[in-house]
Amino acid sequence: MTVQITAPGFWQSEFAVRFRRNRNAVAGSIIVAFVVLVAVFGPFVAPYAYDDTDLLGTWAEPSREHLLGGDQLGRDILSRLIVGARVSLLVAISVLSITLAVGILMGMIAGYFGGWADGLIMRTSDIIFAFPELIFAILVAAVMGPSKLTVIVSLSIVWWPGIARLTRALVLQLRNELYVDAAIACGTGPFTILFRHLLPNIVAPLIVRASIGVGFIVMAEATLSFLGIGVQEPEPSWGGMIRDGLVGLRTDPYLALFGSMALGLAIIGFNLLGDGLRDLLDPKIRDR
Amino acid sequence: MLTYAMRRLLGLVPVLAVAVVLTFIAIQAIPGDPILIMLSDQSADKALAARLRAEYGLDLPLWQQFLNYIRGVATGDFGKSFRFVGVPVIDVIKDALMISPVLALAATALAVPVGVIVGVFAALRRNSWADTTVILVLIAGISIPNFALSAFLVFIFAVKLGIVPVAGWGTLEQAVLPVTILAVPPAAYIARLSRTYMLEVLQQDYIRTARAKGLSRRLVVYRHALRNTLVPLLTTIGIIFGGLLSAAFVVETIFNIPGLGRMAIQAIFSRDYPVTMAIVLLFTAFYALINLLVDVLYGVIDPRIRLGGGPT
Repeated sequence: MTVQITAPGFWQSEFAVRFRRNRNAVAGSIIVAFVVLVAVFGPFVAPYAYDDTDLLGTWAEPSREHLLGGDQLGRDILSRLIVGARVSLLVAISVLSITLAVGILMGMIAGYFGGWADGLIMRTSDIIFAFPELIFAILVAAVMGPSKLTVIVSLSIVWWPGIARLTRALVLQLRNELYVDAAIACGTGPFTILFRHLLPNIVAPLIVRASIGVGFIVMAEATLSFLGIGVQEPEPSWGGMIRDGLVGLRTDPYLALFGSMALGLAIIGFNLLGDGLRDLLDPKIRDR
Repeated sequence: MLTYAMRRLLGLVPVLAVAVVLTFIAIQAIPGDPILIMLSDQSADKALAARLRAEYGLDLPLWQQFLNYIRGVATGDFGKSFRFVGVPVIDVIKDALMISPVLALAATALAVPVGVIVGVFAALRRNSWADTTVILVLIAGISIPNFALSAFLVFIFAVKLGIVPVAGWGTLEQAVLPVTILAVPPAAYIARLSRTYMLEVLQQDYIRTARAKGLSRRLVVYRHALRNTLVPLLTTIGIIFGGLLSAAFVVETIFNIPGLGRMAIQAIFSRDYPVTMAIVLLFTAFYALINLLVDVLYGVIDPRIRLGGGPT
């Protein structure tokens, strides 16, 4: 008789079981998975090129040729929504990577070393927090001029202080733990302690924070593009498409309505997933 | 109490000082010579350029320009518009001044009661289908951007049903859609928080005591629980106002409302940077003042805050 010993796989782990019981998390991850799949593979199967204009087919009604209709230049709305998903996610991923890298580093330095570095970093974040988010982004946009890079830079400037504050608070909680003292006693350098010993212990709340942030970043990018200071033509962005669509809402509502549906659904998906992850990983963190 | 308020007011000074410095740097950092842009096809006219440069104070050394800028801002003079040559910024924006704050206040006045009622309703029916539905609607309300919501609501209520006008400003009907759209995210946010707070409060000992001594459920909910739910909500007013000021840019643009938000966006595109920066400064100051008011008010209600140095 053989006894089979298997370590419980991921799908049997406590986390996975609780995840599957959380309806919000499941619904959110299905929507997010769909949006990510569309963003990654969609452009290869999109029926038309996103900048393929057809001046005879401007504001075309949905039909077999153009499933969701055409926009003001006769470009296929479906194809542009698909490419728009990719643009939106690329901006979100860029902003998220920059804010996480900068925010975690700054938060760790502030929390671990304290002193003037802490003061400098925290006062800087106070100043950024003193501006309403979008208004700071508009200030940056006015200086840099409208572009995709402007969106990434301005949203990164607005977002890193939140990550830094959270990281700092988490590091402050842990820095007097015995294993940190032990590492110091062994002669371990401060950055090894920070990244090897502390980072793994604070990663869960940071994941929660990041996942909640994605929905807001997607919304902020769309808002800036809607106002015309974000992603520029001919590159499609959901925000810009809705702006163009609102002009023709009275007679040709498809662009505005389908664009709004895509954007709304994507953000709902990210927020459902973020909320679900928060419930699962860190019940202490509440809204922003 | 007064010392606390004064301390908070003093704390505002560095924030506003930095905002003033940042906007000055931003105007300097913008590429291109504003005078040449202003003159466009007459840019060869050296004498005219020199005169304009002197009129705008741009011929002075940078440090002197900076001092003038600070002195101007302190006295409510934001310089002259680049787009409307020679016109003071304050004259360009003065008609628009009150519209964004009025919109924000109207939206708050609508959002707070609706949010609290919905939140309490959901909390009292925890885990029922009604609660689940409300939670889903709230997530949608927070998630769907205001311009996407505008597309749906304008299409249904203005284009299809024709109940309200598509855009414009001045009559009550024209304000219905913008105010409603502004109110949706804060109402959803407040509802979500009041549901959470209500659930927490309902588990407190004093609620059990009140029930045990024979008070009706209704009385316990409205007399004891609701009051304690409302107090922490006050701190969210600051966050909500920040969101509403940002949303004003979008909603004013969509509905063609001549407020500061739409004006700031137009000023960016017409490269009228003094106007843009004045509006950024005004919004920041307004936002800081609202947050200050909320903190002080919270200190009045809850003495623990004053001693602790501010709400976390």
